Amino acid sequence: MNRARAPILKLEDTLIASVQEALMDADLVGLRDELVADVKRYRAHAVIIDVTVLDVLDSFAARTIRNIAQMTRLIGARTIIVGIQPDVAFAMVQLGLTLDGMETALDLEDGLALIGLRPGKACRA
Amino acid sequence: MTYKETVVPEPPLAGDEIRQRKAFLEFRDDDVARLRSINELAQRYADAVIEDFYRHLMSFEDTRAFFTDPAVLAHVRSMQKAYFMRLTQGEYDENYVANRVRIGAIHERVGLPVKSYFGMYCFYLRSVLKRLHGEYKDNPEQAVAVFDSLMKLTFFDVGLAIDTYIESRERTIQGQQEAIRELSTPVLLLRPSLLLLPIIGLIDSLRARQLTEQLLRSVRSNRAKVVVIDVTGVPSVDTKVANHLVQAVEAARLMGAASIITGIAPEIAQTMVKLGIDLMRITTVGDLQSGIEEAERLLGYRVVKLDGGGRQNPPEGT
Repeated sequence: MNRARAPILKLEDTLIASVQEALMDADLVGLRDELVADVKRYRAHAVIIDVTVLDVLDSFAARTIRNIAQMTRLIGARTIIVGIQPDVAFAMVQLGLTLDGMETALDLEDGLALIGLRPGKACRA
Repeated sequence: MTYKETVVPEPPLAGDEIRQRKAFLEFRDDDVARLRSINELAQRYADAVIEDFYRHLMSFEDTRAFFTDPAVLAHVRSMQKAYFMRLTQGEYDENYVANRVRIGAIHERVGLPVKSYFGMYCFYLRSVLKRLHGEYKDNPEQAVAVFDSLMKLTFFDVGLAIDTYIESRERTIQGQQEAIRELSTPVLLLRPSLLLLPIIGLIDSLRARQLTEQLLRSVRSNRAKVVVIDVTGVPSVDTKVANHLVQAVEAARLMGAASIITGIAPEIAQTMVKLGIDLMRITTVGDLQSGIEEAERLLGYRVVKLDGGGRQNPPEGT
């Protein structure tokens, strides 16, 4: 079900979960299961979850994302969440959802840079 | 900001408000009649009362300072006499109120202290009481009744005048608060990916919110990776302020920017520990300079001093 809402792209040994629209709780759980399975299957070293389009992240979403990070670390991949918008970040800290211990980056580009996967210079010109 | 110079016209008091004030003072039609009945008496004594009044004012340093110019003195004396007469003319309508409010505003503008205002009214009442006492020797009840009415009216007037003082102060405070808000939250781009947020003055919830929102917007628009938050100018930190700071730092982190807090004064550090505020998860360094050095290190900058740097004047032709 979540395939359309949050397709998982593979780029070398990185998996990119690109959230396309608001996720229901079931979608989040589906995404979690699928990511963990894919990390194992592709022997991925990093997972990037791009939430640029989300204008709200509630406590269930925050917990699920943290769970993904903890689970993938156990099987050898770090997880980075990218694209949290200013309003979303502000609302999250007010609710105490600070994603402690998780890696964050401004957007996909910075997230890729963080794991040493720089898009080619030619593409960026 | 020229907030002080913006002249806001005094809002006219509504008829309802005037009625309520009079009702509270129990100022009624019979009071009006009694005051009117001594108009002739007032006319007779006006000059003497005014004379006493200014002799009194001029014998005190505080009030004398306002009447150094003889032309001004002559003018206010004639105004004062008009007011004195008006007290017994029986017209205490909206015009009368507007006049009192205007006079109060003038006194406020020239800086006449409230204590002098009260003192002057007290002197007025006492000098009238003395005359009433002399005039109504045979009818002391009437003297008391007239004085009672006059006292109600003067308290009505004092209330109006003091309100203008308070309103003016409130306007000043409001203007200053707006000015402070406008000045309060600059976010500066120091190097690519490095933002500086100097916080000066007290942080309340509203300001903390604005500050955090502006910081987050700047993080996004400048693609910042490191934010240096300098709190040298924050005079005191309590649990609430510390929470606001932590929230700003954590929100920035959610957007991928690391924060460094600099400039926590020793006394503030002591207070924070005593209050049990835990900033262990936040990077803090002593002063702004170390903060910027730490930020540069995180971003991979290295500042190198050039040979011959540090001269007062650069050489000609460069």
